Parts: sequence; C-alpha cells; structure tokens
Amino acid sequence: MKTTIQEKDGNMVAILEGSLDTAAAPETEKAMSPLNDVEDKDVIIDCTNLEYVSSAGLRIFLGILQKVEEKGRHVYLKGINDKVRGILTITGFINIFEFK
Amino acid sequence: MKKSKLSRRITWRVIGIMSFFNVLIIGAILWFVFEVSLRNSDMRGQYVVDGIEGKIESLLWAVHVGAANNRDEIERNMESPEQVFDALEREITANQFMGCFAAFEPDYFKGQGRWFEAYVYQADSARYERQQIGSSSHDYFNGPWYQKGLSLERHGLGYLTVPYFDNSVDSAIYCSYVLPIVDREGRKVGVYGVDLEYLWLNEVIGEVEKIVKREFLDDEESLQDRDGTINFSVQIIDDKGNRILGSDSLDINILKAEQEEVFGNLGMKDLKGTPYYVNFKPIPFTDWTVAVIQHRDLVFAWGGVLAVVILFCMGIGCLVIFFFTTRSIRSATKPLGFLSESAQEVAKGNFDTPLPTFKHNDEVAQLRDSFGNMQESLVKYIEELKDTTAQKATIERDLRIASDIQMGMLPTMPPKSGSIDIYASLTPAKDVGGDLFDFYSRDEKLFFCIGDVSGKGVPASLFMAVTRSIFRTVSAHESMPERIVTTMNKTIADMNKTHMFVTLFVGVLDLPSGRLYYCNAGHDAPLLIGADSGARFLACQSPSAGVSELPCDNNIPVGFRPQWQYSLQEAQITTGTTIFLFTDGLTEAMDADKAQFQMERVNNVAAQALAQQQQEPRQLINLMTEAVHQFVGDAEQSDDLTMMAVQYIRQQRDVKMQKSIKLTNDTQEVPRLNAFVEEVCQAVGFDELVTTQVKVAVEEAVVNVMKYAYPTGHRGDVTIEAAANDVHLKFTITDSGKLFDPTVLPVVDTSLSAKERKIGGLGIHIMRQNMDSINYERMDNLNVLTLRKTINNNQ
Repeated sequence: MKTTIQEKDGNMVAILEGSLDTAAAPETEKAMSPLNDVEDKDVIIDCTNLEYVSSAGLRIFLGILQKVEEKGRHVYLKGINDKVRGILTITGFINIFEFK
Repeated sequence: MKKSKLSRRITWRVIGIMSFFNVLIIGAILWFVFEVSLRNSDMRGQYVVDGIEGKIESLLWAVHVGAANNRDEIERNMESPEQVFDALEREITANQFMGCFAAFEPDYFKGQGRWFEAYVYQADSARYERQQIGSSSHDYFNGPWYQKGLSLERHGLGYLTVPYFDNSVDSAIYCSYVLPIVDREGRKVGVYGVDLEYLWLNEVIGEVEKIVKREFLDDEESLQDRDGTINFSVQIIDDKGNRILGSDSLDINILKAEQEEVFGNLGMKDLKGTPYYVNFKPIPFTDWTVAVIQHRDLVFAWGGVLAVVILFCMGIGCLVIFFFTTRSIRSATKPLGFLSESAQEVAKGNFDTPLPTFKHNDEVAQLRDSFGNMQESLVKYIEELKDTTAQKATIERDLRIASDIQMGMLPTMPPKSGSIDIYASLTPAKDVGGDLFDFYSRDEKLFFCIGDVSGKGVPASLFMAVTRSIFRTVSAHESMPERIVTTMNKTIADMNKTHMFVTLFVGVLDLPSGRLYYCNAGHDAPLLIGADSGARFLACQSPSAGVSELPCDNNIPVGFRPQWQYSLQEAQITTGTTIFLFTDGLTEAMDADKAQFQMERVNNVAAQALAQQQQEPRQLINLMTEAVHQFVGDAEQSDDLTMMAVQYIRQQRDVKMQKSIKLTNDTQEVPRLNAFVEEVCQAVGFDELVTTQVKVAVEEAVVNVMKYAYPTGHRGDVTIEAAANDVHLKFTITDSGKLFDPTVLPVVDTSLSAKERKIGGLGIHIMRQNMDSINYERMDNLNVLTLRKTINNNQ
C-alpha cells in the first residue's frame, strides 16, 4: 500500500495505491495525517489506483472527513472503482462523500 | 269494523238478557192475570151460587116451617078423611099454598079403599077445591116422592121433589115438599106434601141471572152470544145430572162428569173438554145442585185485554230500551274505536301519533293514558336500542378488525426451504384469543416460541400482542433462549398491573448443526416425533415408539416474578425429527360431556402419524386437528387451540472444496487472510466484485476476533476454514477467546451523518450486507462464526 501526499491546483491530494486493508491501515493513516491539518484547502483522495478498501480504511476516510468539515472545506473522492463503490454503497458512505 | 262488533255484541247481550227476563216477567204477569181472572170468576160464580142457594134455601125454610106445621096439624086430625081434608083446607088458607096433600098407606082409612090421597088446591083466587086423587091409576105408593117422604125422619127436614108434570087437576109442573106423617105410636103412616109451582123457581133463576148481568157484565156482553154460545148460565140439576131449572140452550151433559166428582164441593172447576167453568152448590132440602156456568171467554175477558195491554206496553218499552241501549253502547264504545285506530298508527311506526282526547275520565281514558305512557317508553327504548345496537355493531366490527390484526401478527407459513419445514395453526375460542406463536430465522438459526396468556378474549389478546412484540425485540439482540425469556419476564412483570401471566416455550434451533437451545416457562413440553429415542436425551419418556417428550424444566410462567432466572436446556435434534408444540387448548379440548382430549390421545395421534409417515408439519397438524374436531363434536370450543410443528432436515451437501488457514491475532496477518479468501473465491468462480465483498466481510470478522477475542497482549489463534458445496461457500472463523457474539450488536443506522455515526457497529453491518448469512455459535468454549455466500448466482 502506497500513499502519496501532494498539493495540486490549490487542493491537497492524497494518492492511494494498492489495498487499504486492516494491516495497511495504521501506516496509511499516519501518512495521511497532514490532511487533517489542512486550512483553506479542499482535500482530494485519489482512489484511481485503489484496489480495495476495508472498514479500517473507511474509518480513516471518515476521520479526515470530520476534521476537514469542521473547517468548512470539502473532501472529494476521485476515481473510485466498482469494488470501492460497492463498499461505499453498502456502508452508506456513498452519501456522505463527494466525488469527482 | 271491530268496534261495531263490540257494541253489537254488548247490545245483543244486553237485549238478550233483558228479553229473557222480560219473557219471565211477562210469563209471570200472564200467569198472574190468568189466576186473577180465574179467582175473579170463581168469586163471581160462588157469589151467584151462594145467592141462589141462599134464596132457595130461605124459601124452602119458609115452606118447611109451614109444611111442618101443616103436617103436625094433620097428625092431630087423622081420625077420619074429613078431618084430614078440613085440616088441609085450614092450613092452605093460612099459608097460601098452591096446594097440599096427604097420602096414606094402603087401606089406612076403612071404607076408602087401598089408596087415599087428600088433595086440596087453590082453584082460583078465592076458592079451594078438595079431591081424593089416590086410585089405581094414581098408584102413588111407588112414586119417588112417596118413597122418599116415608124414608125421612119425622123430626128432620123434608124433601123437595123434582118437578113433575101432574095432570091430575090441571096441566102444570110442580115441585112438592114432602114430610112423613107419623101416628101416635110413632109409625109412619103417610106423606104430607106441599106443591110449589115450578115456574116460580124459574123466575128466581131468571132474576138472579139478570142481577149477575147487571153487576158483572158490561152492556156489550150478554149471557149468550149471537151464535148461540152460552157465556153465563145458572142451572139446577138433580142428583142424576138432569136439568131441573135453567136455560136449555146449555147442554146439561157437560156437567155430568164433573158432578160425579165434585158434588158437594165448593170452588170453580174447569169442565174438561169444554170451554166452561162451573161452580156447584148443593141445595139443602133437596137432592139438587145449583151450578153456575161461565164460558172461558167470559172468565178471561178482562184478563185477555189486560194481557194484551201489558204485552203491548212492554213491547213498546223494549223497543225504546233497545233503541237507547244501542245508541248508548255505541257511543260508549266509540272511544275504543278511536283509540284502536291511533294504536294502529303507532304500531305502523308513527310514534308521534297523537292519541284522542275523551270527555269522560273513565277506563277508556285511562287506557288511553296508559297507552300514551307506553308510546313514550317505546320511543325512548327504541332510541336506546338503536344506540346499543350501533355500539354493539361497532364493538363487533372492532372485534373483527382486532381478530384480523391478531391473525395478521402471526407469521405466514413459509414453504419448505432449507433445513426447515414449519407449519402452525391458531384457532381462538372467541373472536380474539390469548395464544401466541412466532418464528423467524436469523443468522442460520430458527427462533420460535409458543405461549398461552391466562384467560381468553380481548384482555388476553392484548397481552398476547405485547408478549409477541417483546419476543421479537428481545430476540433481535439475544440469541440464547434463557436470556430471551429472562429479559421478557422482567419487562412484562414490570408492566403487569392486571396480574396476567404467560406460559411460554422459546427455542433456538441452529440449522447447520441441528442443535436446539430452549427454555420452558411453565408451558406444556413439546413432543419429538420421529426422533431416535434413548441415548441423546437426558430423560426420555417414550409412551409410543418414535414419539417422545422433550425434557423440560418447568420454571414459572412469564410475568410473575421479575427477578426469576430461567434455565437453559439443550438437545440435539436428529434429521427428520418433527418438534410438535401446542397449548393446553389441545389437551383440554372438551366434548359435550366435559371429557378432555388429554395427552394420551395426542401421543396416539402423533404415533399414528409417524406410523403412516405423515409426520410432516402440515400433515401432522391436519391429523391432530381432525382428531380434536371428531372428539369435540358439536360442543362449543372452550379454549384457544394452537399447534406448531417444526421439522428439521439436516442439509447434507457434498463438500466440493475444503481449505483452512490459521492465523495469530495480529492484524498484520490480514494480507495473508485476504490472499486466502481470494484464492478460495476464485476456486469457487466468484467474479471480482463478489470476491471483494467476501474479502471485506471476512476481513471484518477476523479483525474483530483479532482485536477483541483475547486479552490485550495475549497471543491467540484464529482459524479460518473455507468449505464449498453446490449451494454456497462458507467461511468458518473459530477462536478460543472469550464469548463474543458479533451478531447481537446493534445494526448501524447508515442514514446518520458522519458525526453521529458510531464506527463500532459498522463491521457487523458490512458482514451482513456482503454475505448471505452469518451464524454464531458458542461450542465447546469456542466462538464459531460462520459466513456464507450463495454460489449459483454469483458466478
């Protein structure tokens, strides 16, 4: 599992590649923590190459969402594939995230 | 026209009675008139008879006195015929008789011959003639007057002969008054007699008749009618019934028969066979009887008139009374007619009809008042009845709806599927009842219960509804029956103000293993039909082959003691066994003689069903229902009847694949797990999407175990077994950690926003959603969680 943080077009972008399962979760969470401190910027999580996400991953997304929304900014998920979409749908997360 | 019938009836009855009494009265009056007429005529007749008799008698007394003196004189001067003649002449002059005579016994006077009768008579107004008239041609010895005269007593009364025609001197009719002549020695030697002219007696009679006519009869009436019928007549007859004096228009023979009987009797007699009445009186000095004859018409003349007058008056009176009675009765009964008409109107339904008013406050007016009261009451009662009926209709409708609701609360019978064939029937005794049953599947377990609320009808049905909904709520997050029952008990006991209670049996059947967990709260123990009896159960009662009773602790019914701890029991159900549950409405079903169905019969029917291979739930319950109906017959159902049958068929499917992996409780092992899961899914032929679903679910389950099953820092194992048959792929996750049932965690509400979301509950939601069934069992101190995914439509 590989996590890359970038700034792009005035947004903070996190590029995720691989499978975000419970094992990879702690490491990924740590890597994405800068997103929590973002001010005056929206967050984009690029899931184009995200193969798989389990509930551990969703918890991370949720944590980020809560923090960012507190500051009045948006979190977007970008490029989710069908599998990820399926998981988001079942958990209802598809309703609380915005997509690009 | 009923009213006129009444008045007619009364009228006729009154008239009838009056007429009856009228007839009696008339009869009495007529009789009275009749008697009075008779009495009157009797008196009249008697008066006349007395008068005549008196007159004649006094006449004859005078004659007697003169005659007796004469005879005494003769007796003193009987020496010679001349003496006799002289004596006779002397006397006749003194007494002024017509004639007198003395006739002697044969040869009394010598020289005179055999016969000597000295006769002196008045030849004309100044001169008397003498004549001896005894001779052979006038042989007087056999004459009745002579014989009679001789037979008389010397000192007694004389005898007046019947009139006879004597032409010895001149042709005339005489009566003679005779006395015996007796000589000094006392021997009767002759007969002395005085002549009385007959005509002179006739005059007397005629005079009397005139008097009678004057005194007793009107000018119109006469002694004799124009047609010759005698109305009134005086007759003097002798002892033979021959006429001596009287009008000869009257047939004297009519008196003969009567005279025989009544000669000498006084009183008016009816001459039978004739229209006459007669009064008799004997005349002394003679053998004569004076008879006064009155014609019936004369007797009853006045009476007849009187009777006619009376009848006429009474007739008029009756008509008048009839007329006024009819009118009066009719007018009296008219009110009844009016009232009847009004009543008829009311009967038609016009309750407001006004009742007629009457002048008089009599019984009819009282009837009207009573009727008026009834009318008011009727209106009031009908209103009340309408209300009551409407209420009743409402209640009945509500009951029907309640019955529908109650039936709607019961689960529908699912078709046979998987390991379970289930069928149940509930028949309340009234519209709604207190029996309950419920079943549903969750996580490869069958949750079922059967219960009986004390009582029946609406109260029990409310309690039943509450109990059932509590069962559903509690069993959603408790999988062990004793915990379910204990919680239900506490909840129900806390709100049980009416002190009702429920007997309950709760069972949880684990479908993969056939393991039954159950808890009994005062309910009838279920039967196991078709089970292998013996070894598997703790204490098996086997009344019949293949039919045994599930051993149950009794505990107590639910709702009594909030703090009661109910006991858990377990049994292994072999494949093919039917669990038969019922309420006491089955065992206590009563026939017309109040005999109960009883457990023995239930066992017998179950054994019979088993013998006939009819222990499938629907068949079994039908057989039982049939048996109960036959037993009960026409008797009314006494209690709610509920039965439920669950047949367990263990699903044995060929296992196509079996793999397992063992991990430690370290989340870093997850990639290994996911690789394992992927491999298995591919082997089964799942596509990417499905595989991901399975991976997410399995990862979730295993991570839960890794995090929570063992105490922190403690190393533990988790085993994941994958097995596939032709229906589904299952993962069995086993650990030896503390008891942890993920299936009873509350399901997450995914509609909540992120802030409100509790992240903890997400996992079980993911598991349930991604897998087709999850099933948790605690077995031999191990947590065993099974996740299944159906194969056929996921390839």
